[in-house]
Amino acid sequence: MIDVKNLHKSFGDKQVLCGIDEHIEKGEKVVVIGPSGSGKSTFLRCLNLLEKPTEGAIVFEGNDITKASGGELNKIRQKMGMVFQHFNLFPHLTIQKNITLSPVKLGLMSQAAADKRAEELLSRVGLLEKANQYPAQLSGGQKQRIAIVRSLAMNPDVMLFDEPTSALDPEMVREVLDFMKQLATDGMTMVVVTHEMGFAREVGSRVLFMDEGRIVEQNTPEEFFTHPADARLKEFLSKVL
Amino acid sequence: MSWFANTWEHFSAAFLENDRYLAFLKGFGETLKISFFAVILGVVLGIILAVAKYMAVNHKSCRPLGWIANVYITVIRGTPVYVQMLIIYYLILTARGIPAIVSGVLCFGINSSAYVAEIIRAGIEAVDRGQMEAGRSLGLSEMQTMISIIMPQAVRNILPALGNEFIVLIKETAVIGGITVLDVTKVAMNVGASSYDYLTPLLIAAVMYLLVVIILTKLLGMFERRLAKSDRR
Repeated sequence: MIDVKNLHKSFGDKQVLCGIDEHIEKGEKVVVIGPSGSGKSTFLRCLNLLEKPTEGAIVFEGNDITKASGGELNKIRQKMGMVFQHFNLFPHLTIQKNITLSPVKLGLMSQAAADKRAEELLSRVGLLEKANQYPAQLSGGQKQRIAIVRSLAMNPDVMLFDEPTSALDPEMVREVLDFMKQLATDGMTMVVVTHEMGFAREVGSRVLFMDEGRIVEQNTPEEFFTHPADARLKEFLSKVL
Repeated sequence: MSWFANTWEHFSAAFLENDRYLAFLKGFGETLKISFFAVILGVVLGIILAVAKYMAVNHKSCRPLGWIANVYITVIRGTPVYVQMLIIYYLILTARGIPAIVSGVLCFGINSSAYVAEIIRAGIEAVDRGQMEAGRSLGLSEMQTMISIIMPQAVRNILPALGNEFIVLIKETAVIGGITVLDVTKVAMNVGASSYDYLTPLLIAAVMYLLVVIILTKLLGMFERRLAKSDRR
């Protein structure tokens, strides 16, 4: 589904990604872990071109998106949902409007159809009664679940999660992870950058370890956590587990 | 003679005798007219400049636009409005038989646009970067994100500063007498010259400016509160 070839990214003189080759299959749940500054967020943000790669190709459903025109790119992004660390809900719009804005603006659904879909999704996360409230009236965990719902309203083929629980109070992490687990069970293709090792172990179909702009090691969760090979990964795991 | 009677006599000489209040009101009308059209011109030009600067920052191909806007803003903000007014009046417009008041509107509009541009740019930049990223990641174009997501939030940052800019502009038009326009300040000076008392007519003019500014401040306050209400943050 997503083919990453020789991906490089630098900010000025600083090289953040130094040649990444990766293939993500439909239905896979790929979890990316690594120390801060390892380039994992940049890698994720390159997948939907929020960061423009300096070199390399990203092929999504057969199209090299690094060569796509502006209009094509907008179309491609509709199929790639993204969830941010800081939620990035639209503070001036109600929850309902947050969810329906893009499907309606992009002409994918009528307002009525989008409203119906939003209600379905909101009841699924148990937040239907918040539909007419504003983001500022919600807790962090609720905001993040709404942000996920907002992406889902576009019916994406893949969901990218950029440290979705890092900005949350500890007691709210669970509700977000539980919702993500549901999505995983439903068969959604997911790429998740996270520090939640429990989630990686439980939900991931594959875990990648990144350090200094490279994917240093990858494996199934069981092998990854029980038999790490790379020295840096061993050190990292000893610190976080 | 009591102080009160004395003051009244001065006031009546400056304002009521020879129907001078008509001149004051006419001058006041000119001041409002110039300010009104200059504010509109300033906002329109300011938006164009702000868009040029925004495009220059976010798109490499638009860099030259940004340079032009920056030179314009630097020159306008770096020179006195009085000098700008004289230049526009003497060198550009009188030669072509265009009325002085048009020179005035052009001058104050152009002057204001440089400040308005910076106010709008700062208001847009103050919106969290994540908002643009969220909009784009949902498949909205840059333009759609700008209109539906960024601008509604930026307006809230822009409005108070823009209100101040309007108030400054209205007061700045007091120098327009320098190019023969009979605004309220110039009328006060003329009344002073014929009644041998400058202080009273100038005080009357000052009160007129003050009234407009107070009314405008109140209106802006009401408008801001209404925005905040729909916001519920």
